Amino acid sequence: MTDATVARKRRLGPTWLILPGIVWMALFMIVPIAMIVYVSFWTQTTFNISPTPTLASWKQFFASDTYIGALWTTIRIWLIVLAATFAIGYPTALFVGLFVKSKTLSTVLLVICVIPFWTSFLIRVLAWRPMLGKEGVINIILLKLNVISHPIEVLLFTELSVIIGMTQIYCVFMVGPIAFMLGRIDRNIIEAARDLGAGFGRIFWKIIFPLSLPGVVVGAIFVSVMVLGEFATSGALSGRKVNLLGNIIVTQVGSLKWAMASVSGVILTVVMGMVIAAFLRIVDLKQEL
Amino acid sequence: MESRVLKPILAVYVVAFLLFLYGPFFVLTILSFQQGPDGGPQFPITEWSLYWYKQIFGLTPPSRIAPLPVGEALIRSLVLAFMTMVTSTVLGVMSAQAFRRKFTGSSVVFYLIVLGMMVPGVLTGLGTSLLANNVLGIERHWYTTAFATHVAYTYPFAFLVMLAILNRFDGSVEEASWSLGVTPWTTFRKVTFPLIFPGVLSAMLFAFTLSLDEFPRSLFAAGGSGDQTLPLAIYGTFAVEIHPNIFAFGVLTTLFSFALLSVYGILMGLSVRRARKLAMQEDIA
Repeated sequence: MTDATVARKRRLGPTWLILPGIVWMALFMIVPIAMIVYVSFWTQTTFNISPTPTLASWKQFFASDTYIGALWTTIRIWLIVLAATFAIGYPTALFVGLFVKSKTLSTVLLVICVIPFWTSFLIRVLAWRPMLGKEGVINIILLKLNVISHPIEVLLFTELSVIIGMTQIYCVFMVGPIAFMLGRIDRNIIEAARDLGAGFGRIFWKIIFPLSLPGVVVGAIFVSVMVLGEFATSGALSGRKVNLLGNIIVTQVGSLKWAMASVSGVILTVVMGMVIAAFLRIVDLKQEL
Repeated sequence: MESRVLKPILAVYVVAFLLFLYGPFFVLTILSFQQGPDGGPQFPITEWSLYWYKQIFGLTPPSRIAPLPVGEALIRSLVLAFMTMVTSTVLGVMSAQAFRRKFTGSSVVFYLIVLGMMVPGVLTGLGTSLLANNVLGIERHWYTTAFATHVAYTYPFAFLVMLAILNRFDGSVEEASWSLGVTPWTTFRKVTFPLIFPGVLSAMLFAFTLSLDEFPRSLFAAGGSGDQTLPLAIYGTFAVEIHPNIFAFGVLTTLFSFALLSVYGILMGLSVRRARKLAMQEDIA
């Protein structure tokens, strides 16, 4: 057999290998998202929807306090949860990635962080109800410790409960990437800075934090994408008081208002695209990895 | 030195962090042993019992609290997860194999695939149901439309796992096989596949567990009540009053996940041991 036939044979056509994947993603991801944009311009009547192009649903979205409110609530909750996951996750990542000397221990700690994900997502959300309720665990403990004299009622079925729930569910996505980046820092740089007389604060802000930034960005992208697309946590923990864009989509589809659901979907896509683009501005991930 | 002070503080912080992470699940587990059928989903525990576990398996006399409608939903979810696992692993292995050599547009294709794990389920779910419902006019089912969206979500994970494995793969064994005149397909089956099998197992595990727990995609793409998967059945109980039976069910599904993880661990251990044995035989020879 000549070299040429061997080469031809082993090529087995990358095109044929990759084609099924491309087709699948095009048909079941690209076309559906294009459909959302398309249907957002359809004409919606009470019982029906027809492909006659109109801007009616778009006008209705921007004229309604409910929908605009949902957009702002989505952005507000996203920003709060993003800040909370970062603030709560970073010290953990710092310990796991930098302060733990043994590789085994830091792996064990990371695995312990991931184990809760083996419980179904919806059950994890639901588990916050007996924690936060008026007769919930947090109130019971605070009452026993005499910190409060009456149970706190704002803990459950408010925006706060949604924020607490989402922070717990998503903070691990912040811890992982940051701990990974911190683990890659060359300890000699820190030692050198220390020998030159730099205090921990200075070392942190001048060396550790900038080097961990790509991890922060990756974590922030994970958390942002998931929080912006949420509707189950807000539905289950706010008693339907907190409406995110995701909740609007679910309700609209439930009442067969496809055009309005699509408008909300397009707006959600645009918000998400802007958020990801902004994060990628901060750090050029391709260069870092 | 500050780190001597900082380290213990951070260690205490991490313990608090883990309490925050695990707290709700501990509480849920304790409450799943609440007395039934009158005990509510809150403290205090009136009496420890296994009532709610028995109720899930239909071992209790009928009461005012309906048992969870999970039986058929569980089977649907398992079948769907299995279908998704096989399809996305096959697609993932094929695509990663294609990525071993540069081809035109490979970076566009890479982002196209990886986008699938980033796009929220609300959007792909909504889009797919629009496509099926309003344009094609076909019915949505868990084994058609929902299956398609599940694969579009899990296939990127399988692809990335296989890409990582194949990046570290030594191609010279394949070349040896080809130069001996073995056909590419046989080479793949007899040489490449056994070597990348640990990666294939991980890809399968990812796809199966992600699909089993997938909720937003199924909510939009799975159609009516005869099409409920497990997460949809659980979601259905949210609207009405919750009872400790859902907590007991949460504990059981977590145990199931651990069983799955153990099977994965055992298979992984076996395949690593076999590889080591083979390597040793070669050394002796």
